[in-house]
Amino acid sequence: MYTDGGPAVRAEGLVKRFTGRDGDVDAVRGVDLDVGAGEIFGFLGPNGAGKSTTVRMLTTLLSITSGRAEVMGVDVAREPDEARRRIGVALQEAGLDPRQTGRELLVLHGRLFGLSGARAAERAKELLALVELEDAADRVLKGYSGGMQRRLDLAAALVHEPEVLFLDEPTTGLDPASRLTIWDELRRINGHGTTVFLTTQYLEEADQLCDRIAIIDRGRIVRQGTPGQLKAELWERRGGGDEPTLDDVFLDATGRTRELGAGEVQEVTA
Amino acid sequence: MSATIALGRRALREAVRQPDALFMTMFIPLFFLVVNTGQAAEIFPSASTEFLKGQGYGAFQLPITLLLAASFGMAALFLVEEIEGGYFDKLRAIPVPRYSIVLGRLVAEGAKGLVLATVIVLLALPFGITIASGIPGFLLLVLLTASWGVVYAGFMQLIALKTRSAAATNSGGLIFFPLLFLTPNFVPRDLLTEPMEIAATVNPVTYLMEALRSLILDDLVWDEILPGFGVVLALGVVMLVLNVRMIERYD
Repeated sequence: MYTDGGPAVRAEGLVKRFTGRDGDVDAVRGVDLDVGAGEIFGFLGPNGAGKSTTVRMLTTLLSITSGRAEVMGVDVAREPDEARRRIGVALQEAGLDPRQTGRELLVLHGRLFGLSGARAAERAKELLALVELEDAADRVLKGYSGGMQRRLDLAAALVHEPEVLFLDEPTTGLDPASRLTIWDELRRINGHGTTVFLTTQYLEEADQLCDRIAIIDRGRIVRQGTPGQLKAELWERRGGGDEPTLDDVFLDATGRTRELGAGEVQEVTA
Repeated sequence: MSATIALGRRALREAVRQPDALFMTMFIPLFFLVVNTGQAAEIFPSASTEFLKGQGYGAFQLPITLLLAASFGMAALFLVEEIEGGYFDKLRAIPVPRYSIVLGRLVAEGAKGLVLATVIVLLALPFGITIASGIPGFLLLVLLTASWGVVYAGFMQLIALKTRSAAATNSGGLIFFPLLFLTPNFVPRDLLTEPMEIAATVNPVTYLMEALRSLILDDLVWDEILPGFGVVLALGVVMLVLNVRMIERYD
């Protein structure tokens, strides 16, 4: 267990440059982040702002062009396997093996994380209960709904009881009921001490769930703080008036208007 | 190693749960066996065709059937499906050696190849085809076929990892057909025209085919058998190294 009191996630000058036929593209341009242990941290930004690229670097799935990143004090580039033991990852679009059953998938993940067969089976049972999929446990995933797949993906990310859980747009495409179920599960997981790093396009989701948020735009962090701080800062800058919403903060931070942002940012009111 | 075995078992379950894919892997090669034998058996009667060594033309064609069955590269198609669907990244975020992700599939492909080759040979027996090299030869025949299946799946996995595209992986798999036809697939190498003989001589699949054919038509003739195993071993090492390298550098 990480005990030095430092941040659960730290990024310093994180840069990702993709080289393509049309030249270099800097998807992430010097991101600095500190996420405290036990927080639910929201990482927001418009499509293509660099959210997923940042998460992929933090979770060892993408090489870092320059800068450094640590998870629970472990350098993700130098000790990727050690970092992987500390984190759970549920990426955008629950990518699961459609030919396995829910139980088989969780047992497999348990085994890959080094659990014994008996412990992996026991852990799968616990997680299936946690995400309320016991009835569907022995059905192949091809038959699962989108919401069920997301919940199973979340369970798979929790098999090894990670210290930090990375979730990349975990509720995108879900109906309001499934979204609320995921929110409840995240609160419960966080209640057990797991740090949650969450990317989302849903501003209400960030407002409801997150202790602190960062807004990334064009590869750079443009705002960082608690939702309350960011709203207060905008209210002051505007010289009072109506209390701003997180939507207003987002639009202000990314230089977009409501008209411009409508096609890019899904503003959820459910 | 335990991660490779766990992932290999998963890949086998996956194959069993996709019976239509397994059916095509069996059906197409057996279809070619029937059609090729039907077309050429009259030209090469058993009694007067020396290279058949007393067997029917079907025995001469059986190696092609075995090689075709082993060259579907289903492992790579499942892999690319996982890359496109995102599960591959989920596996990469687990602290297992990256090579176990590709090796697990290859182990499963080997096990599947053993079963497929056994079933095809057993299906051929009632049609008068015998394995002249006996039980040891039968075992070598099955082992060589399955080993080739692993090599070819390794090649297809390289395409999958490089292109990350199902369409490209499928197209890449077609490269086997020219290789299969630039071999002594209808007659022995010394009866080919000179350009075809040269092409067949430089084609590694030829040595594989000749080894399989030798096991069916002759007693254990090591001069014919060992080059086949040599080809599989050499290409296997190359594919293994390239697969491991590719997944270690996958970004």
